Amino acid sequence: MFFSDTDFSALRLPESLNSLRDEIRRFLDRERRAGSFKPHLGHGEFDVAFSRRLGERGWIGMTWPRKYGGHERTHLERFVVLEELLAAGAPVHAHWNADRQIGPGLLRWGSEEQRMRYLPAMARGECCFAIGMSEPNAGSDLASVRTHAERVPGGWKLNGQKTWTSWAHKSSAMFVLCRTSPATQNRHEGLSQLIVDLSSPGITIRPIRFLDGAHRFNDVFFDDVFVPDDMVLGEIGQGWLQVTSELALERSGPERYMNTFPLFCLLLDALKQSNDRLARISVGAIVARFASLRRMSLAIAHAFSTKADPDVNTEAALVKDIGTVFERDILEAIRTLTDTVPTRDSSDEMERLFAEATLFAPIPTIRGGTTQVLRGIIARRLEATL
Amino acid sequence: MSDAALLEDAATGIFRDHYTGDLLVAAKHAGWCAGLWKVLEETGMSLVSVPEDSGGTGGSVQEALTVIRLAGKYCAAVPLADTALLAGWALARAGLPVPKGPLAFAVAGTTSPLTVKQEGGGWKLSGTLGRVPWARFARALVIVAEHEDRCVVASVDPAQYKVSPGINLAGEARDDVVMENALVSGARVRAAPPGVSVENAWQRGALSRAVMMCGALDRILEMSVQYCRQRVQFGRPLGKFQAIQQELARLAGDAAIATACAMSAAGALDSGTQEFDIAVAKVRAGEAAQSGASIAHQVHGAIGVTEEYLLHHSTLRLWSWRSEYGSEAHWSERLGRTAIEGGSTWLWNTLTRH
Repeated sequence: MFFSDTDFSALRLPESLNSLRDEIRRFLDRERRAGSFKPHLGHGEFDVAFSRRLGERGWIGMTWPRKYGGHERTHLERFVVLEELLAAGAPVHAHWNADRQIGPGLLRWGSEEQRMRYLPAMARGECCFAIGMSEPNAGSDLASVRTHAERVPGGWKLNGQKTWTSWAHKSSAMFVLCRTSPATQNRHEGLSQLIVDLSSPGITIRPIRFLDGAHRFNDVFFDDVFVPDDMVLGEIGQGWLQVTSELALERSGPERYMNTFPLFCLLLDALKQSNDRLARISVGAIVARFASLRRMSLAIAHAFSTKADPDVNTEAALVKDIGTVFERDILEAIRTLTDTVPTRDSSDEMERLFAEATLFAPIPTIRGGTTQVLRGIIARRLEATL
Repeated sequence: MSDAALLEDAATGIFRDHYTGDLLVAAKHAGWCAGLWKVLEETGMSLVSVPEDSGGTGGSVQEALTVIRLAGKYCAAVPLADTALLAGWALARAGLPVPKGPLAFAVAGTTSPLTVKQEGGGWKLSGTLGRVPWARFARALVIVAEHEDRCVVASVDPAQYKVSPGINLAGEARDDVVMENALVSGARVRAAPPGVSVENAWQRGALSRAVMMCGALDRILEMSVQYCRQRVQFGRPLGKFQAIQQELARLAGDAAIATACAMSAAGALDSGTQEFDIAVAKVRAGEAAQSGASIAHQVHGAIGVTEEYLLHHSTLRLWSWRSEYGSEAHWSERLGRTAIEGGSTWLWNTLTRH
């Protein structure tokens, strides 16, 4: 019922991708040796210079058309680059949104002018974008957004508030999902997406401090912000379709099960001298779970490399549900098998990353669709097929 | 219709014909379902994937696994995996004749030590093989055993051993086989050819159980979703309750993972690097069996544990098969040992090669 179009027995990354993998590994080795980044979990840090170096090598917007600064490579090639970056704990935040969501959104719904304006800069790692979805009263229930735009000559006047907007304070623009006509019985109607230049008058960005005190998230307020007509994404009224159509890639990538993997590597090396059966069993179970999630994630990347618009939304929900819960197994294994104390300012990498992972642990099962919402999606598919 | 779809259709028809409460309970008491076995032999499905020139029906391992998964789905109490995928495979590879009829298969050396001696033109086997599936019904017991530094494949006539009957939780025959200087003629023993070893046989056995568990998981998912649609409590079908939906989604996820891993391992079979994939498949199928069976029973409530309701035929098999050919702990420990010895760089290389 799930993955019915996938032949797992024949699913392999082509050998030809080995040279790409070697290339990115050499790049990451050089970067590490040069001290350009310290490994962090959860997509590492926000580092525009690092993103630019990736852009120079053609590792952002890999699947996009050349015309827009892309490289016309396959989703499998992109998969290889993503998993190597995540395994290294590299700082990829500055381009992650652009590469994963904004770029594909512009390619699918954007005007030629919008594409030409943003995509080449994004692919160079020079244009950071935020995504405005959640609001104080619209979390999982996204269709209840109240931010609204009203028609004015030449464009739209935007009012409202977005929240949990990652990196808005470092981005040049953002997608904003808003109401452009009053809610009717069908709440999915009357929603639109606007591209908002964050330097426009009327925008206030305020930090939301995460529980470690760091500034990643923001509240973004819109007070009579003028958005010209040519910055409407796609069509007015099609916002719901647009935001829900890119979910499969968003939910199925290796970032949905690899957030704590660098920590697992440290655990493995710390157990080198261990002769404990329980340690071997715990480690082996994690290896098996990781390998299984990777197979499913790879199957979805493969589906995108063979079809333009594969129907794998439920499969992607599965990967995100199981992958994000799995990430915590690694933390429990570290607790059970070692005496590591999570310590944020430790010079010991394992203690430091263990602290990061422990503090970050509540996030992955919430953002991008909570575990409970995802399971609802899976259950609806079961109801429809069995 | 493709050949694969035709095969799936035909096999489904056969297994469903024998998937009735009465027949399943009868098989539980008898140790197997003789009537179903007869049909599988008549249709040639009992030897699917065994080459035709060895007396089999031909076909790929993938086709065999399709049929075996359906056998798991419909609680088929027959030595299908053991005959086609295991005994038939070892005999055909070793160049030994494949007898007509149900075959039992045992791997000596892993859990059951066996003394193998060569005497004159024949062989003498001594020892006890514990919990051999279907031994009492077999026309021959096929053993892959270590002998000195080599490995042999032996096809032993039932007259040469004593069977002490036993059953697994689901009532499937799992018999102890006692051999005291069992005589096996030279014509029925061969040095194992390349690709056949105690280790390979053990891995293949584990894959067969993983695939059977995938079938059983398919079935308990189907039963659970359908039951939750029909059963009304508090004025609504159970399936309308979010608490129940969340559980069904977990069951579906576990089943999907187990299947992805088992099919991946099937593709790696005989590649020389299949150990990793098979270990992953057996671990994930066993984990899914554990959580899946719990969920299926939980959403069914008390009806699921009654003898007349069919669910237990599947869950009892899941609980049995997860222990056969190595538990999750066995395969996890193997994975863990190689990962710890190899270190993180080795592990990442291995994971990304698959």
